Amino acid sequence: MDLYSVTLEGPAPWGFRLQGGKDFNMPLTVSRLTPGGKAAQQNVGVGDWVVSIDGVNAEGLTHVEAQNKIKACTDRLSLTLSR
Amino acid sequence: MRTNNHLSVVARTAHVLLLGPYLVTFTAWCNSHLRKAGTQIENIEEDFRDGLKLMLLLEVISGERLAKPERGKMRVHKISNVNKALDFIASKGVKLVCIGAEEIVDGNAKMTLGMIWTIILRFAIQDISVEETSAKEGLLLWCQRKTAPYKNVNIQNFHISWKDGLGFCALIHRHRPELIDYGKLRKDDPMTNLNTAFDVAEKYLDIPKMLDAEDIVGTARPDEKAIMTYVSSFYHAFSGAQKAETAANRICKVLAVNQENEQLMEDYEKLASDLLEWIRRTIPWLENRTPENTMQAMQQKLEDFRDYRRLHKPPKVQEKCQLEINFNTLQTKLRLSNRPAFMPSEGKMVSDINNAWGGLEQAEKGYEEWLLNEIRRLERLDHLAEKFRQKAAIHESWTEGKEQMLQQKDYETASLSEIKALLKKHEAFESDLAAHQDRVEQIAAIAQELNELDYFDSPSVNSRCQRICDQWDALGALTQKRSEALERTEKLLETIDQLYLEYAKRAAPFNNWMEGAMEDLQDTFIVHTIEEIQGLSTAHEQFKATLPEADKERQAILGIHNEVSKIVQTYHVNMAGTNPYTTISPQEINGKWDKVRQLVPQRDQALIEEHARQQNNERLRKQFASLANVVGPWIQTKMEEIGRISIEMHGTLEDQLNHLRQYEKSIVNYKPKIDQLEGDHQLIQEALIFDNKHTNYTMEHIRVGWEQLLTTIARTINEIENQILTRDAKGISQDQMNEFRASFNHFDRDHSGKLGPEEFKACLISLGFDIANDAQGEAEFARIMSIVDPNRMGMVTFQAFIDFMSRETADTDTADQVMASFKVLAGDKNYILAEELRRELPPDQAEYCIARMAPYSGPDAVPGALDYMSFSTALYGESDL
Repeated sequence: MDLYSVTLEGPAPWGFRLQGGKDFNMPLTVSRLTPGGKAAQQNVGVGDWVVSIDGVNAEGLTHVEAQNKIKACTDRLSLTLSR
Repeated sequence: MRTNNHLSVVARTAHVLLLGPYLVTFTAWCNSHLRKAGTQIENIEEDFRDGLKLMLLLEVISGERLAKPERGKMRVHKISNVNKALDFIASKGVKLVCIGAEEIVDGNAKMTLGMIWTIILRFAIQDISVEETSAKEGLLLWCQRKTAPYKNVNIQNFHISWKDGLGFCALIHRHRPELIDYGKLRKDDPMTNLNTAFDVAEKYLDIPKMLDAEDIVGTARPDEKAIMTYVSSFYHAFSGAQKAETAANRICKVLAVNQENEQLMEDYEKLASDLLEWIRRTIPWLENRTPENTMQAMQQKLEDFRDYRRLHKPPKVQEKCQLEINFNTLQTKLRLSNRPAFMPSEGKMVSDINNAWGGLEQAEKGYEEWLLNEIRRLERLDHLAEKFRQKAAIHESWTEGKEQMLQQKDYETASLSEIKALLKKHEAFESDLAAHQDRVEQIAAIAQELNELDYFDSPSVNSRCQRICDQWDALGALTQKRSEALERTEKLLETIDQLYLEYAKRAAPFNNWMEGAMEDLQDTFIVHTIEEIQGLSTAHEQFKATLPEADKERQAILGIHNEVSKIVQTYHVNMAGTNPYTTISPQEINGKWDKVRQLVPQRDQALIEEHARQQNNERLRKQFASLANVVGPWIQTKMEEIGRISIEMHGTLEDQLNHLRQYEKSIVNYKPKIDQLEGDHQLIQEALIFDNKHTNYTMEHIRVGWEQLLTTIARTINEIENQILTRDAKGISQDQMNEFRASFNHFDRDHSGKLGPEEFKACLISLGFDIANDAQGEAEFARIMSIVDPNRMGMVTFQAFIDFMSRETADTDTADQVMASFKVLAGDKNYILAEELRRELPPDQAEYCIARMAPYSGPDAVPGALDYMSFSTALYGESDL
């Protein structure tokens, strides 16, 4: 269980697919990476859990809430993830 | 000399004019003496030239015979006679300076007169002695003495003083008052006075006129020698009378001396006897050694003594001295006056006086010593007495109240700690007392000393001392008594305390034991087995066996209490009453004991009842067990069989279904057995039986098993039905189904009809799914798992497995497809508007979308734009960001 943080420079797209959420009874995970995308460049891993978005704890967020939160970050996206 | 009268008168007058008045005087004087020899001279210068009358004169006035004169008339014979006369004069101690016989023989007037004057001086004046004053001064003194009573006469010399003539008259009147009427004389009539005196003297006193009144009056300073010569005649004339007077005086003197001596003797005697009397009086006073009582009195005595020494004795010393002096003087006087020595009367002799005086001084010394000793003694006594008083007072104040204190009965109502405190206090008091022993002894010692020194107030001192000593003894006795009483009480209280402690030490555990016992006896027990109840019974019996011992202990404890009561009663100890170590009273103990006794049979009864119950329970258990042991396995068997059926692969699904339905029926038919078991179980439960060693099956097991069975059969049936549906719906052939089944079974190692995640993964791989062993693969697998096991059961049922499998191969809606559909509805925009949704979708679905869609915030957004893309992805839990 490794926690790490990345800060992706905007603008979107960030280059990853978010899957899961409280309403799906699944943790928020990175299910796919766009090769050469911003996320891939920052060495985000497929299958990693998203722990916090922009400093806010991601646990308990529904998929839509997490999605909106990420969408709200335009200039810069800070994520804490767990491998 | 008459022949020479005429010539002599002239000559005389001429001589008088030349040689002064003393010529006459001298001549008259010579004649007054020569008259006794029957001859006279007429011319003083001439008549002595041959020396014969000179020699005669000398014989007359001296009363002695000179050498025989020469009778020759020749110069040499004259010179010889004159020399004889001069020698005689010289032999009377008169120095004749410059007077030679030849000048006299030659008729040197000056020389002759000088010689005559010398003779007068030597024989008429020189021998005059008046009160040890002689010659001229004596004569003057005599004149002064004699004329003293005459106020108008003042004789100071032999010239001017006589000028008024009163001197001569006074002299005469003094001796022969009848001859002159002195009162009629007047100072201013010197002539009368002088002549009267000269006349009377010639007529009645046989003193020839030697002076001339006119001469005296006329001359400023009459001739001293002449007057002296004349006055000396008066002296000699009266000295006869004087002699008588002198004789009388002598006698008087002698008598006076005698009288004086006698007076002295008398005085001596008187003085002596006074002194002796004084000594006699004084000695007893000095020998009085009665002591006084007080210092003041003694000091008064000392004061008196001092007065005696300073005031009274000195005069007496003086008297004694005087006495001695007087005695000596008297003796001397007597001796000098040729009298016999003075012999004082008996007892008044000098030795007696000295002795007496010695005695006095002795007594004095003794007295002084005694006084000082007495004073010292009294001082010491005073000091001692004061010391005694002080010490006695201090002691008495210390002992004040001590007797009462010692006689206190405070220990009778004291507790042990109080007694101990009292004992300590008493100890302190005892040491204080011991310390005071010293002082009492001191007081007694002082009293003793006072007695020895003969203190006047010894009786009261002694009585006080005695009081003190008696009290001291009493105090000692009381102290002892109190000490004993305190100790006794202490011992008692200690004993009692010990007993109390003992009591408490035993009563407490005993009480606990009893309470424990009571608890135990009343203990509601929950036993589940016969063994348990038997165990309790055994324990109870054991407990009962301990009762006699316990009772003994109880007796013992009560015994202690009784002992305490006995002591209290016997010794009348005033107890505060309660045992300080415990609140457990004997009554309490007894009460509890009775309770215990009561409870024992109760428990017996309870145990017996319980035993019976337990036995009953055992019966029930056995009953249950026997049936459960049948039912349980039956259910298990059936479960297995059903499971087996569900996974078998031969025969059609319909065949399986029928088979299963048969089972269902048999299961339903078996229900009564379950009910029965339930009944048995209820009994067991009512009997509060919680375990059953006769069977491993609990009702719950059975129930659960039964329900599971029911569920399983239903589910299995359902599964088969679903499979049928699925097969029909999806057009899965039997073979495909069998393949699925075979794979599933293969990986279902535990034949549970379900696959764990790993089993499932392996299964997928075997079926051609590409699940790599990397993160992407993991994510994919997770996705798949979420589909097949949405409820997160952790396992995959065959049904789910088939669903999944069929889904994968079928055309399913995906998030992209939904998104594409929305895009169509939105007219190819990246956002959709509410009215568009309402237009295209059924109302409730449209509202659903509107409500859930987030506002679109892209660069081409318009008010009211809704984000259908994130909504679509959200539906599937997947969004591309």
